[in-house]
Amino acid sequence: MAHILLIEDDPQFAEMLQQMLEQDYHRVTSAADGEVGVRLAGEVKPDLILTDILMPKLDGIEAILALRKQGQAAPIIAMSGGRRSITADFNLESAELMGVSATLSKPFTRAQLRDAINQALK
Amino acid sequence: MSLTARYADIVCRAVAADRPEVLESVLAEAFELGRELCELTLPPDEVMQYHHQAIVELAAKQPDLRLAQIAPRLTAPLLELSMAYGLAFRQQADFQQRHELQRRLEQASRLESIGTLAAGVAHDFNNILGSIIGFAEMTGDALPEASRERRNIEQIMQASHRARDLVARLLTFARQQPETLETVNVLTQVREALGLARASINSAIEMSLHSEFSEVLMLADSGHVQQIIMNLCLNAQDAMQAAGHIRLSIIRAPDSQGSLAQFCLCVRDSGSGMLPEIQAQVFNPFFTTKEPGKGSGLGLSVVHGIVAQLGGKVEIQSNMWGPERGTAVNIQLSALGLQPLQEKPLNEVF
Repeated sequence: MAHILLIEDDPQFAEMLQQMLEQDYHRVTSAADGEVGVRLAGEVKPDLILTDILMPKLDGIEAILALRKQGQAAPIIAMSGGRRSITADFNLESAELMGVSATLSKPFTRAQLRDAINQALK
Repeated sequence: MSLTARYADIVCRAVAADRPEVLESVLAEAFELGRELCELTLPPDEVMQYHHQAIVELAAKQPDLRLAQIAPRLTAPLLELSMAYGLAFRQQADFQQRHELQRRLEQASRLESIGTLAAGVAHDFNNILGSIIGFAEMTGDALPEASRERRNIEQIMQASHRARDLVARLLTFARQQPETLETVNVLTQVREALGLARASINSAIEMSLHSEFSEVLMLADSGHVQQIIMNLCLNAQDAMQAAGHIRLSIIRAPDSQGSLAQFCLCVRDSGSGMLPEIQAQVFNPFFTTKEPGKGSGLGLSVVHGIVAQLGGKVEIQSNMWGPERGTAVNIQLSALGLQPLQEKPLNEVF
């Protein structure tokens, strides 16, 4: 089971994901924005990072850039509230181009989350 | 005094005028009458009739008049009248054109702003739905399989998925969906969509396809073409009581020119038709005439969004009475290539 860093600004969605991941016996460290997420990533050395894309302060794309700069080797899964809704600069396609392991369009099911995690940890 | 009699009187007085200022005031009356005729939307050839009638009356009243000698006096009122008529006509046309342009501009900007709003709301909405689906799923997984509670949770999941689909449709309207543009044969797409639509459309409704081409290539997202057809067919069905027909045709656009050939995709139904005031609103998101719960009011907004994205235009013609009763949605698009059928056009029934 993996140690997962969850970067998500919507507290309700974060709580849901944390429960879902813990039910699958993952250990979860939670960050409410990109800035905290990048800092925590350096401290806790997660096996996997699950990050939202549209967030206040440091958004997901910037967070991914910062994590890469930091030399973070953990695979990253990018999530967003619909790959269709966000502007072209900050969409999941950009995240894909930046080499994230998987992308998830919100809302997603438990099965989709598990698939993405398995793919990223492979 | 009738309008013809007024004009005849003006001509009589113009001929009889003995001082320039008298003639001038008579001609001013002719000018005024010209404006009035235009406001009454009298056709120009009828205006000419007035003049002929006035001359006939004048000749009958004053048989000793030598018409050839007084020709300038005779034509002066006609010139004034025509000039006023022409001016008023142009003003009317200008006004109508400006009004129409203004209306289109307003509609475009309204759709644009609703689109932006929709994209923003959709993002938050997907976050909320994510929580609902996630919590419901976890709760459902913890409940005994055949329990009523488990079934209720499944209902929550289903409802949430419906909401998710609605958001996706909203986003298509908002034109924020990255499309995969490829060369598609519209005819193939239309056939597939009609096949799909057939399954959900009342079997008493006859569905047919007519095409002047064996191949219509254009740059589009194949899903979009199918969505247009599906949305229009479902609307057509809802406009019909029980039986009727939906006729889809692909024909050359009447004003097709230039290097990119234009074609028309037309979906015509034999339904109830629409009042003009309904027609004016059909492209507005969430506008629906269907019962609550039956329609989202997004079908035609989505069609409008897709067609605009493809650089085309949509027009609606609707009749509530007569042999042409029903609604026709005409979509004009640019093709990369059109392959006309050599012999007779294609007709298929679905």
